[in-house]
Amino acid sequence: MQIQRAIITAAGKNQRQLPLQTLVDRDGQTKTALAILLEEVIDAGIDEVCLVISPGDQAAYETAAGHLANRLQFVEQSEQLGYGHAVWSAREFAASQPFLLLVSDHLYVSGEQRGCAKQLIETAIAEDCAVSAVQATHESKLPNYGAVGGRLVPARRGLYEISEVMEKPSPTQAEQSLLVPGLRAGHYLCFFGMHVLSSQVMELLDADLKENESSVHLSSALSRLGGRQRYLAYELDGRRYDIGDKYGLLTAQLAIALDGQDRDEVLTGLVELLVTSRK
Amino acid sequence: MSLVAIIESSDPAVRDRCLDSACEDLELDSLLAECSALEEFRRRSENLYERVRALFFLYSIHRFHIPTKLGTDAAQSNISFHGYEHLLSRRFEEAIDSFLEIQSSEGASDGISSALAAAYHQLAFQTLANQVRHSVRSVKGNQWMFRMGHHANHPLRVRSELTARNDDGTRPILCERTPVRMDLSHCGWSDIFFLGMNYPEGARVLNVSIDLAVHGRDKEPRPPVEAYFRIIDEPIIRLTSVDLGATVDIDDLGEVFDFAKDYLGLLKAAVIASGIVPPGIEGSGKSLKKLLARVCGGDRGIEIVSNVNNIPKGSRLAVSTNLLAALIGACMRATGQTKNLTGPLEESERRVILARALLGEWLGGSGGGWQDSGGVWPGMKLITGVMAGESDPEHGISRGRLMPQHRILDETDCSSETRQKLQDCLVLVHGGMAQNVGPILEMVTEKYLLRSETEWDARQNALGVLDDILTSLKSGDVKSVGERTTHNFKGPIQTIIPWASNYFTEHLIESAQKDFGEDFWGFWMLGGMSGGGMGFIFAPHRKAEAQERMQEIMSQAKHDLENSLPFAMEPVVYDFSINENGSTAELLKAGQALMPANYYTVRVPTLLRKPSQDLPATERAELDKFGAACRNDPELSGMVQTLFNVMLPKGQGGDGEQHSLRELLDEFGFDREQHERIRTDLRDGVIGLSQNRLRADSIIEDVTEDDFTDARAIVGSKSSASKQRGWDALKNGELAMVTLAAGAGSRWTQGAGVVKALNPFARLGGNHRTFIETHLGKSRRISNQASAAVPHIFTTSYLTHGPIDDVLKLRENYGYDGPVILSPGRSIGLRMIPMVRDLRFAWEEMPQQVLDEQQQKVRDSLRAALIGWAQGAGEGGDYTDNLPMQCLHPVGHWYEIPNLLLNGTLASLLQERPQLNYLLLHNIDTLGADANPDLLGMHIKSNACLSFEVITRRLEDRGGGLARINGRPRLVEGLAMPREEDEFKLSYYNTMTTWISIDPLLDALGLNRTDLNDQAIVTAAVRDLAARMPTYITLKDVKKRWGHGQEDVFPVTQFEKLWSDLTALPEIDSRFLLVPRHRGQQLKDPAQLDGWLRDGSAAYVESLCEW
Repeated sequence: MQIQRAIITAAGKNQRQLPLQTLVDRDGQTKTALAILLEEVIDAGIDEVCLVISPGDQAAYETAAGHLANRLQFVEQSEQLGYGHAVWSAREFAASQPFLLLVSDHLYVSGEQRGCAKQLIETAIAEDCAVSAVQATHESKLPNYGAVGGRLVPARRGLYEISEVMEKPSPTQAEQSLLVPGLRAGHYLCFFGMHVLSSQVMELLDADLKENESSVHLSSALSRLGGRQRYLAYELDGRRYDIGDKYGLLTAQLAIALDGQDRDEVLTGLVELLVTSRK
Repeated sequence: MSLVAIIESSDPAVRDRCLDSACEDLELDSLLAECSALEEFRRRSENLYERVRALFFLYSIHRFHIPTKLGTDAAQSNISFHGYEHLLSRRFEEAIDSFLEIQSSEGASDGISSALAAAYHQLAFQTLANQVRHSVRSVKGNQWMFRMGHHANHPLRVRSELTARNDDGTRPILCERTPVRMDLSHCGWSDIFFLGMNYPEGARVLNVSIDLAVHGRDKEPRPPVEAYFRIIDEPIIRLTSVDLGATVDIDDLGEVFDFAKDYLGLLKAAVIASGIVPPGIEGSGKSLKKLLARVCGGDRGIEIVSNVNNIPKGSRLAVSTNLLAALIGACMRATGQTKNLTGPLEESERRVILARALLGEWLGGSGGGWQDSGGVWPGMKLITGVMAGESDPEHGISRGRLMPQHRILDETDCSSETRQKLQDCLVLVHGGMAQNVGPILEMVTEKYLLRSETEWDARQNALGVLDDILTSLKSGDVKSVGERTTHNFKGPIQTIIPWASNYFTEHLIESAQKDFGEDFWGFWMLGGMSGGGMGFIFAPHRKAEAQERMQEIMSQAKHDLENSLPFAMEPVVYDFSINENGSTAELLKAGQALMPANYYTVRVPTLLRKPSQDLPATERAELDKFGAACRNDPELSGMVQTLFNVMLPKGQGGDGEQHSLRELLDEFGFDREQHERIRTDLRDGVIGLSQNRLRADSIIEDVTEDDFTDARAIVGSKSSASKQRGWDALKNGELAMVTLAAGAGSRWTQGAGVVKALNPFARLGGNHRTFIETHLGKSRRISNQASAAVPHIFTTSYLTHGPIDDVLKLRENYGYDGPVILSPGRSIGLRMIPMVRDLRFAWEEMPQQVLDEQQQKVRDSLRAALIGWAQGAGEGGDYTDNLPMQCLHPVGHWYEIPNLLLNGTLASLLQERPQLNYLLLHNIDTLGADANPDLLGMHIKSNACLSFEVITRRLEDRGGGLARINGRPRLVEGLAMPREEDEFKLSYYNTMTTWISIDPLLDALGLNRTDLNDQAIVTAAVRDLAARMPTYITLKDVKKRWGHGQEDVFPVTQFEKLWSDLTALPEIDSRFLLVPRHRGQQLKDPAQLDGWLRDGSAAYVESLCEW
């Protein structure tokens, strides 16, 4: 399996401005969130990146991508028919090849030398199958994520056979269908916002679109993917930060800064802030 | 084989052996040894059901076996107060230790065995309840709700369809409609959780979802239960129960958990069990507003409305459980816990709703059966217990799972034609009786775990009945369904619980049989006991006629029996149809987005009272919409008038009722002056519950052997020294019986106000008998043996005189040959609103039975509400907000004998029978008391004025006893005990049964026989004596009925003077006779009936009677 293409979705109604936000990266350079994300992807060995955007956003994204803009292709999502539809919009770019899929409103901090995307891609290549990155997440966050149920692959750390995929399950549904042995009580494997998927997903989305023209979820296609081919979840060594959350951008910035060269400076600033803040 | 071996055996033939037969031949010592082994076994066993079964074995041995094997010379050990306190506080293990210690040091005794029996019994049920609770919490889909303790972690979000707005600015409404369920076979109570969890293979129910209409009132059957959910623009939870006419806006998290504060406990339980305000957050002190912001977004809140289309309470169709399920369903749908917002539910979703309804019932302190949420499922289904598998939380703890499985019957199991035929044949009714089925469910559990032989056979038989019914349905033979349900009712059901039937039900069956002959195909009982929801099956061509006729029969029977049996409402006949959808939901949008019509009678008056500029836009828009609907929808045509009636009500209570109360007071000789004096004393704190007590420095000791005569061996002996003297007196006509029948038997029907004397309480000699008939049965036997009729006097009161008189006339004194005389009461009291001081004394300072954790919370909340009621209504004020008869009270049994003098009954009796020298006075519920010649002879020979019968005390015998007070033996009331623990020093309990020598008593009053003809002299003598008697203040529970079978219970204050206080007077020569327990046993509570039957008391009473 070779993975050379990545699709990043950025057409969501409340998501369009997020990748354009400016942050300081781990090397102390000021960049947009999009640029940081693109670096993560390119470091993982991806050659071509397709951004799924809302009509009219291309110029802003090209600017935000900076020197990496030349690696980008753009696909416009003409109608808001759900996340599945956004992914499906890039089917021609994917061209029947496996691809890395990311959301544009998340930033990642790896716990090891390799970036998160690289960890995922290497796992997918090693396992030779579709793999979704997941993170054990408290049930209070379930309204924000897709989640999977499954069991550990024998003798493989952090790898799970997926038995069920649900989009933003209620805790009731999660408790009934998504309990994973080994996780803390009240925690579930929620999507990390990063997947390596086979082209079959595009076929499943195509079928979904024909059946339901109003809204298509990726989770629904993923839940059927497991029935057709090997499909794993991978709890990689890293954290995701949703910059669309309240204080999400701030948290992401802090996480990146504390992981980088300016760690001491930022820590000092934080301590000062703690000491001097009243209330 | 040892009893432990029976429990441990893996062979069903051994394991299911009946305890009674295993104990039959064991001597006392062997029984006690078995008890020690069981006690040791239950403490070490890790298996829940082994422990529970051992506990029930221990209970049964102490309750039924040891007492029969104790000789009359057995020790009379007193029950330790210390142990009793442990028992009240639910520290059962400590209580058992304490009682066992006494048993081991002083030997086995009747009293200690009664205490041990009570402790084992309660511990057994507590253990079972804990396990059900644990299982409810462990069900997947419920667990997260117990983890969530902070609003910021709340994982639920309201679906966007509900936060959107209609064009007019209002929001859409989600409406869940749910049928109720009927149990087509009557499952022999196998849906009790404990049975299903221990004997899953025997837990089988044929359960049908039905729509209902009240025949003659409603147009057509529809799902009787509706729940509505809407997002509102205020950060509150607004709950409204349309049927109860109650609404509340909740803005505090703690109030959601306050179940008994108002009538909205069921809705609150649904809010909690659906996870909107999950149980884990209780007591966290978090903000409800923030929680709602998290769940609903912004400054929004939730409105939930329940509506049960005026279906009466107690229908045995599980209306409340299905309403709870509907409410939970609506809340779950609204918060994305189901796949679809509208339409039917998926099987996995129904199962979660079932689990949540179990949780909700536990939270609310109630407890439905395991099949009760059946209405959530469609059509007809077989619900069965399931063996616990490895992945179930019950595995290794109980044999069965908490959650049963449902198999929906298809066309091959029961065709559409058969379903139609069933609907064409069945007349579904509510007989009007509403009774507490709790004791019945306990009896069933207990008998099951003891494997009582006949009941166990009956249970197996009932399982066969279910199979037969399934076969009949398959072949479309509805007539045989009727035969099988009738067989089930007459056979297995009544074998397991004889009390499942009653006189009313038997009368209805007999009448249906008589009027419809061959076309009456059968009867079936719904739910815990008969008298409420019931079914009568007729040939289809006569169904319409049968519906009308059954209504007439029931109404007439209710009219004839309403003084004898607790009816909560007028009987009704239902129309019904099978609901093939189960619970379904619809999203009401735009002009359709209205709540049920009667919701507006609750809400609109509040809205209209606000200035229109203060009304939020959404509420104004809703009023406009409702106004338009009233103008255009014919179903809402009378709404304007209804609203006027609600907003401008007629005077409270109506003039008629007040007038009638005044008339009654006048008629029954109400003493206004005395009443005002009592009120002043009450308000000033001169009298009250705490003032009932003797002086704190009184020395209270147990009596010695010289203080009483042990007559236990004499009663019924072949010959005794006094027997002949007794027979002579009986033959000479020297004795008359006096049965106290003035009371309403508050405990017997929980304050329902029926005449206890006329309650057909049990089958004796093949028929249901009233207390009066039973007492006359005993007098008949003695009269026949003595060849001289014993006159029988029943003392009556304002409440009981008319009904008793009517029944005696109707039944021609039950064929009694001797004189039957009524002695009407001449004293009456008016109940008062209690003093908060007295309520607090009763609830906080007196030892209280602590309830199970959740029930205790509900009780505390209810008590807080009742204290609020007393303060609001005015402490010490007259209690008049009820039916006039419920506002009056009898003034204590001390007055009963003086009444005989005041109303001339004794004078005229003496005139007719100058040889009359003695009276035997006894309570209506002391069924073993008769004109026993041995005791009469002993009394005569003693030359005493009064001989009181006492019995050895058991744990349940509370309320005083025989004591030495400051060195003098006398009877003392429990109310008068300065310290609760003093009562536990007393070995003997007062039965109230008193042999009275007429002339010495008159003498004590300063009267002679001639004076009885002079009213003024008698009145003065009685007043003088009354003034020397203490006045006790008591709290009594009184029911107030309203709506469709709804009942509230209020504690009210009344006063009384008590007969046994005569023993304190030195001029009256009082003696005390210790009699056998069967003779002195009183029946105060229907829950005692089963034990009364099983311990031989019923057979003893039957042996005293001739019918």
